[in-house]
Amino acid sequence: MTARFVVGYTANEHGADALAFATRLAIASEAQLDVVMVLPSEARSSTVPSDIGYERHLKARSRAWLTEASKGLDPEVAQSLHVRYAESFAEGLIAAAHEFGASLIIVGAARGGILGRSRIGSVANELLHSSDVPVALAPSGSRELAASVGVSRITAAVGSRPGASALLDAAVRLSKAMHAPVRLLSLVSIDLPAGMDEGLAELTSTAHADEVLATARRELPAGTDVTVAVATGDSIEAAVRSLDWHQGEVVLVASSRLARPHHLFLGSTASKMIRELPVPMIVVPRTSTGKTAS
Amino acid sequence: MTNEPGAASGAPLTSASAAVDAPEQGGISKKGLSAGSVGLIGAIVIGISCIAPAYTLTAALGPTVSEVGVQVPAIILVGFIPMLLVALGYRELNKRMPDSGTSFTWATRAFGPWVGWMAGWGLIAATILVLSNLAGIAVDFLFLLIAQVSGNPEIADIAMNPFINVAVCLLFMLGATWISYRDMQTTQKLQYWLVGFQVAVLVTFSLAALIETANGNAFDATPIELSWFNPFEVDSFSAFAAGLSLSIFIFWGWDVTLTMNEETKGSDKTPGRAATITVVVIVVLYLLIAVSLITYAGVGTGEYGLGNEDIQDNVFFHLAGPILGPLAVLVSLAVLTSSASSLQSTFVSPARTLLAMGHYGAIPEKFASVSPRFFTPGYATVVSAIVASVFYAVMRLLSENVLWDTITALGMMICFYYGITAFACVWFFRKVWFRSARNVIYTLLAPLIGGVILAVLFFTTLIDSMDPDYGSGSSVGGVGLVFVLGMVVLLGGVVVMLWQWRKRPAFFRGETLSRAAADA
Repeated sequence: MTARFVVGYTANEHGADALAFATRLAIASEAQLDVVMVLPSEARSSTVPSDIGYERHLKARSRAWLTEASKGLDPEVAQSLHVRYAESFAEGLIAAAHEFGASLIIVGAARGGILGRSRIGSVANELLHSSDVPVALAPSGSRELAASVGVSRITAAVGSRPGASALLDAAVRLSKAMHAPVRLLSLVSIDLPAGMDEGLAELTSTAHADEVLATARRELPAGTDVTVAVATGDSIEAAVRSLDWHQGEVVLVASSRLARPHHLFLGSTASKMIRELPVPMIVVPRTSTGKTAS
Repeated sequence: MTNEPGAASGAPLTSASAAVDAPEQGGISKKGLSAGSVGLIGAIVIGISCIAPAYTLTAALGPTVSEVGVQVPAIILVGFIPMLLVALGYRELNKRMPDSGTSFTWATRAFGPWVGWMAGWGLIAATILVLSNLAGIAVDFLFLLIAQVSGNPEIADIAMNPFINVAVCLLFMLGATWISYRDMQTTQKLQYWLVGFQVAVLVTFSLAALIETANGNAFDATPIELSWFNPFEVDSFSAFAAGLSLSIFIFWGWDVTLTMNEETKGSDKTPGRAATITVVVIVVLYLLIAVSLITYAGVGTGEYGLGNEDIQDNVFFHLAGPILGPLAVLVSLAVLTSSASSLQSTFVSPARTLLAMGHYGAIPEKFASVSPRFFTPGYATVVSAIVASVFYAVMRLLSENVLWDTITALGMMICFYYGITAFACVWFFRKVWFRSARNVIYTLLAPLIGGVILAVLFFTTLIDSMDPDYGSGSSVGGVGLVFVLGMVVLLGGVVVMLWQWRKRPAFFRGETLSRAAADA
C-alpha cells in the first residue's frame, strides 16, 4: 500500500513551503499526497451570521487555489485535492489524516522566522500538541529547494529518556522508505542537569551514543548506512548550530513525555531545536502507531 | 458566488465524500456546513447579538422621542411592518441567488449594473455609518464605566473632549478590525452569556424604572396610557415618517436570522422559528424599555426628560445612574459588550459586499481578495475600517451631535438600499408572481408594499431633513446636516460609480453580471 501524506495547504508562502517539502518526501518514498485546505465551519461562528453566498465564494476560491497549487506540482507525484470544514485548521488536518489513513501531516512551520529558520505558527503549534499522527514542519524557504534534492539523510535526535525506541522504529522505517542513510544524534550531554562536571558529561554522552548506536545497528537491516553524532554545546541552540546539515536532511524527534499515549506534545528540547533547525523536522508520537511511512 | 467554476484543469478534485466537490449540489458540502451548523438557540443568540438591543435603544430612543413624543411604542410596532415585508422578499432572493453581494448582486440582476451599483453603495454607506456610531457609543460607555468603577464621575466627561474621543474611537476601530480580519470568535458559550446578560440587564433596568415610578421617585412620572400604542396620535406625517425611519434602524440586522440557516440542518422550521422568537424577544424588550423610561422620565426637556436634547443621543448613558444607582455599572457593561459584538458582525456586511463588487468587476479587483490564512475579505475589511474611522473623526469635529445625526442619516440609507432590494425582488420574480398563492404574497405583495413604504420614508426624510432644525439641529450653510450627509453620500456614490464606469466598463455593460429574471 502506498503511504499517504496529508498536506495542510494555505495559499501563501507557508502553504508553498509545506507543498514543496511534501513533494520532496513523496518523490523519495513514492507516497501519495492529499492536499487539504481547511475552511472554518459554520459551527464555530458565534457572533457573525453565516452567509451561504460567502461560503460558496470561499469554497470556489479555495478550489481555485488548490487547482493553481496543483498545476505547479510535479506531475509524477500522485495527488488529490480536498476542501474540508472544521473548527480549526489543525483539527481539520487531523480528521483528514484519519479519513485518508495518512501516516504524516505536513504543514509550513514558519511565521516570520529569521534567516531561514523556523518559528512555530499557531496552526503548527496546535497540531504539535494534539495530533496522533506524526507531523512534519517545513521551515520557511522550503519552497526554494528543488524536489530533486530528495531526502539525503535522516537524523534522529535521541535523548536518554524513554521513547527512544519508538523514534528509532520510525527512523528505520523512514530510512527504508526514502532510501536514505540514518544519522543518530545524541542530545544526552545537553539533556543532563546543568552544572554537572564536564568530563563526566562527556563520558556519559559518549557511552550513551555508543549504546544508541549498538541498538540501532541491531535493529537496522544489514548494509544500512548509520552514523552517530554527539551534540555538544552550552545549549540546544548552540548544539544545533554546531552540527552540519545536508540540504536534503530531515530531522526526527519524539514528542515529549507529557504527551498522552499516541498523541503529540512538543517538548522544550524539540521546540528549542525547531527554532534553530535549517531543515524540516518530523515529530512522532511517543508510542509509535507503527504507521510512519510504512 | 452563484457561478461556481467547476473543477478546472490540473489534478482532479477528488474526495471520499463526493459532496465536497459537487457544485451541482449547490456547492455546500454536506460534510462541512451542515455537520455542525448553528442550532435554534445559536441562531437566536446570533440574531439578538446582531441587533444589539442595548446599543440600538440607547442610540435611537432619544431621537425617536424627539420626533413622536410618547408614541414611541406605537412607532416601534409599526416600524416592524416594513422591515418584515422587505425581509420576506430578501429571503426569497437569498434562496434563489445566494451571493455575498446581497443587495448589490440582486439589484444588478433585476435592474442592471447602475441601480445595482448604487444599491451596493447604499448598503456600504449604511454599515459604515453604523460602524462609526457604534464605536462612538462604545467610547461614551467606556468612560462612563471607568467613572462608575473608580467612583469619579468626572471621568465620564472626558468622552466629551473631541480629540480624546476620536483617539479612543480609533483604537476601538483598530481592535474591531483586527478581530474581524482574523475572524476571531468568542466561544458559543460566552456569547450565550453575553446575550443573556444584555437581556437581563435591560429587563432589570426597565423594572427598576417602573418600581421607582411606582414609589414616587420618578424624575417626571408620566402615567402609562393606551394612546402610546396608537400610531394615529402622532402629530404630523413628517414626524411619523422620521420616527418610522428610526424604528427601521432598531430592527435592522434582524433579517439575518431569517436567512442564515437556510439549507442547513435539514430542517425547514429552524430559520423561521429562530426569526420569530428573536423578533418577539426584541419587540417585547423594546416596548418594555420604551414604556418604562417614558413613564419614569417623561418626554419633557428637563434634566433627565427624554425630550432633553443634551441626553437624547445616548439616553441610557444619562438615565442609568438616576434609575439604578450603584447598579448602573451593569448598563454600561451591557451596552459595551453589545456594541462590541455588534461591531464585529456589522463589519462583515460591507466587507462582503465590497468583495462581491470586486469579484464582479464593479470596483477594483483588490477588494475581492480573500485572506488565505483567515478566509476573510481582508482588503475590504481594512478599507471599510479606514473609511468608517475617517468618517467618524470628520463628523465628530463637524457636528455637535454626531451620534444623533449619524443615526438619522443611517435610517435614510437603510430605506434607500432596502427599498431597492425590495423592488429588485418584485421585478426579478415578475414572471412567476402568479404561479402560486405563496408567490403572490412573498414575491409580489410583501416586497412591493415594503418597498413602497421605504421609498416614501426615504423621500419624506430627505425633504424634511433640508430644514436646518431637523433632527439634532446641526446644519451646514443653512441646510440640515442630515440632508447634506445623505446627499454627499449618495452623490459621492454617483461620482465614484461614473469613475468606475470609465475604468471598468465591462461590469457596466453587463458582461460580468447579467440581468435576469426568475422563470421557474
